[in-house]
Amino acid sequence: MSGKHVDTLIVGAGAAGLLLGAKLANSGRSVTILEAGPKRELSDLISSQIWARRLKWSGANVEEGGNHPVGHAFNAGSGTGGSALHHYGVWLRLHEGDFRVASDHGVGLDWPFNYDTLQPHYDQIQREVGICGDEDAEIWRPKGAPYPMPPMPLFAQARVLQRGFDKTGRRTAPLPLAINSVPYEGRAPCQFDGWCDAGCPIGALANPLVTWLPRAEAAGVTIIHNAPALRVLRDPNKASRIRGVECVVNGQRQLLTAGEIIIAAFTVQSTRILLNSTSDGLAAPGNRYDQLGRYLTSHPAATIYGLFDDETLPHQGVSGGQLISHDDYDTKHHGKAFGSSQWLIAHAIKPHDLLGYGTGRPDVIGSDLKPWITRAARHLGNMTLVTEDIAQKDNRITLSSNTDELGVPLASTVHNLDPRTIALWEKRMGQGQEIFRAAGATDVWQGPRVAMHIMGGTVMGRDEQHSVTDPVGRVHDTDNLYVSGPSLFPSSGAVNPTFTLSAIASMQVEHLSK
Amino acid sequence: MPTGLTRRQTLTGGAALGWFLVSGSWLYTTAAEAVEKGFEPQTLTKNQCESLEQLAEVLVPGSRAAGITAYVDSQLSAGSRSLLMAKYVGVPTNQQEAFYKGALDAAAQALTSPNATVGGVVSAMAKDSVEGWQGPPSSFFFFLLRADALDVTYGTEQGFEALAIPYMAHITPEEPW
Repeated sequence: MSGKHVDTLIVGAGAAGLLLGAKLANSGRSVTILEAGPKRELSDLISSQIWARRLKWSGANVEEGGNHPVGHAFNAGSGTGGSALHHYGVWLRLHEGDFRVASDHGVGLDWPFNYDTLQPHYDQIQREVGICGDEDAEIWRPKGAPYPMPPMPLFAQARVLQRGFDKTGRRTAPLPLAINSVPYEGRAPCQFDGWCDAGCPIGALANPLVTWLPRAEAAGVTIIHNAPALRVLRDPNKASRIRGVECVVNGQRQLLTAGEIIIAAFTVQSTRILLNSTSDGLAAPGNRYDQLGRYLTSHPAATIYGLFDDETLPHQGVSGGQLISHDDYDTKHHGKAFGSSQWLIAHAIKPHDLLGYGTGRPDVIGSDLKPWITRAARHLGNMTLVTEDIAQKDNRITLSSNTDELGVPLASTVHNLDPRTIALWEKRMGQGQEIFRAAGATDVWQGPRVAMHIMGGTVMGRDEQHSVTDPVGRVHDTDNLYVSGPSLFPSSGAVNPTFTLSAIASMQVEHLSK
Repeated sequence: MPTGLTRRQTLTGGAALGWFLVSGSWLYTTAAEAVEKGFEPQTLTKNQCESLEQLAEVLVPGSRAAGITAYVDSQLSAGSRSLLMAKYVGVPTNQQEAFYKGALDAAAQALTSPNATVGGVVSAMAKDSVEGWQGPPSSFFFFLLRADALDVTYGTEQGFEALAIPYMAHITPEEPW
């Protein structure tokens, strides 16, 4: 059974897939997007951390191993908008040094281009999506156009924590956010109620439902929901040409054919689809040199919490935070420790759920709990450390011997942290506790080390022996198969990835439109 | 499962999220009301429910009245649509029933020991020191059950109100979950 042939077939209706679909359709292409999850609308974004769990990954289980499992069920999404539907809108640029960690430091992988290549795309996407911030206060910010919106106001929690940075000689700046601080492009401004993780139904946070989806629909893009992609199929007459995607639509297996195919199904599932695409004795696309699935990265992160005599009112603001500090970001060598890191400061926070303050103190139970959590609800401060991960060849995604209900092998991931990364994380967490004490915290504690963001697996590079795609995301041994999204990142830096994956998608549109 | 669900009832997961069997009839109600009316669990046994309620109430006072038992049972009955936080931390939805049942059976066994108290068992669970515990790691279950109890007690509009903080919903949930 076959569907209608289109110019471009995209797998995944997330941040990258919808951006690509909207822009390529606007250039005159016929575009279809396959989305494994359900159709999402703004009215589905209910303000509840329990309801929010519906937005997270609900497809085939991902088997996870290593000393730092990637946390796929929390980090990934499903349905229109993908994981960007529940992302926090922290949009930061990679620093110039992030693009050359192998050349400069002998660790991980270089990117196949430098910051200057991506800068015009950062600027363009920033203008199209809208980012608020204060470029003058961000003294460490790479060069780029000024933010189109002023920064968010600071609430009590941020002012209290800023005191700790000031007293320890560290600098902060308003956190750059793809959230409207003022009305922008017909979208409403933020109301500072901290429901970002549950999805923002007012359109203040730049989730794909309010950025790229309307443009894609206006340009005639067809989106097929509940349609998981199983594998790509090569043209029997020319192995380097990918004929189409085998998928399930309305319960039926179909082959959808296209002139060009873009896999943008988030890191683990994009890699899984390609790994499942062996045929006629040929290796999976991009895997003639056993590179597919390798260099899986995830930012080691953790949150510092503290109680203050000051009233902090931590329910106010946005989930991503209010301030940022990139001090020492560009110094990657620290004795036995290695990498960049950042602090995201003063998150709006709820009492429960995985990141909630009540959940983070399992030692407080019984009659102690109510007074403790009542105090925390008005006097808590928190900030998150995000640390660079070193890309390692043996951190990888493979296919499991177990299969899903469609008979497709599950993805299996192994992710271990390099001792130098752990050393950096420990050093920074100690500094974070010092900052909180300097700010006046009467009780300080830290959460466990967790995996934030998932990158790599189909990394871009200059040659097939060390990467899966070329510098524009075309799979090396194919003519017309592309990958988009964070799976392309050869190294992780220490910043949130959505801005960068969007800039790369913009670069891909430019390439494909030539 | 009852038929003729509304769109919102379907969105909330139908029977898993609001339909409870009470005295032989299906009622669409909150978990707290279901417990109050004596709901009949669909996945857990009555013995498992009793253990769950006892442990949760020690961990998070108020969770019994907030409907912890009906909440956990309804989520386990929802299969792949379970909203339990466990799925975030390595217990996928298809393994949750076995996980919770195994842990609750182990806890029930511990509670039957001579001189056992609920508080004592909870403390031992936190330290993985429950004698003869046969089941998932008890400290992990402690963490998850406490998180579930926080969900029902402080993760709703009523819970926020109890903490004197504004809920400030963009779209107010018609049901707690």
